[in-house]
Amino acid sequence: MFQVLRVYGESMSPEYQEGDFVLIMKIFRGKIKIGDVIVFQHQFYGTLIKGVEKITGEGIYVLGRGENSLDSRRLGPVNPAAVQGRVIWHIRRA
Amino acid sequence: MFYRLLNTLDKKNAFDRAKAHCDVPCGIYDPSTAQISALTVVRMMDLMIAEHADHDHGVGHINSMARYVQVKEEHAENAKHEVRIIWGDYFKKDKHPNVDDLVHKIMQLGSKSRQTADRESGVAFVEVINEFAAIFWETKGVATKKANAPYAPALEMVYPDL
Repeated sequence: MFQVLRVYGESMSPEYQEGDFVLIMKIFRGKIKIGDVIVFQHQFYGTLIKGVEKITGEGIYVLGRGENSLDSRRLGPVNPAAVQGRVIWHIRRA
Repeated sequence: MFYRLLNTLDKKNAFDRAKAHCDVPCGIYDPSTAQISALTVVRMMDLMIAEHADHDHGVGHINSMARYVQVKEEHAENAKHEVRIIWGDYFKKDKHPNVDDLVHKIMQLGSKSRQTADRESGVAFVEVINEFAAIFWETKGVATKKANAPYAPALEMVYPDL
């Protein structure tokens, strides 16, 4: 139901910095909202963390914070079944 | 406090990583390489046409023709490659949706320029890559100008007006 993960990479910077921790809670289909930060599985890139930009019939459109972020602009929408959870607590690097 | 605790736990038994993945490009993109390659394709076509008009069809002719074809092949493919890199790594689909059709046209004309010695296709190949270059520079906020290339085949090209 809950899981702690460590952020790796800079695409969510400056909000989420590399080394930060996040606590995620498993969410169910239909519970994802625009503005949520979600963790999901991608077949090639593994476990990714991105922000929810919009939700369409094709899936969840996610974006990073930076111009170079690898996200739905390149990967397409995320299948809701691939979503691992929503960030409910962000523990920043001290 | 929580961070320290989690950090200590992470060192003992690493938590899974959530990747805030960046596609890290070098950031140096320039369509001029593709433009020069496309221009080279037309130049090779012109040399082939001139060589063919020469009635000496001996070994020297075959050798020259083979070299022109080889260079035409290489540069047509290089132009396509350079455009693909800029399209795939630089352009964002949601910001430049019309580029997809243009790139498809470039790919087709590039292939036709390899398959044939049709100069019209070669010139069209240069033109669509010029169009691609104009869009690229527009995204950079750089004005462009048109001028004829200062070397054969002296076609009109799009240059950044720096």
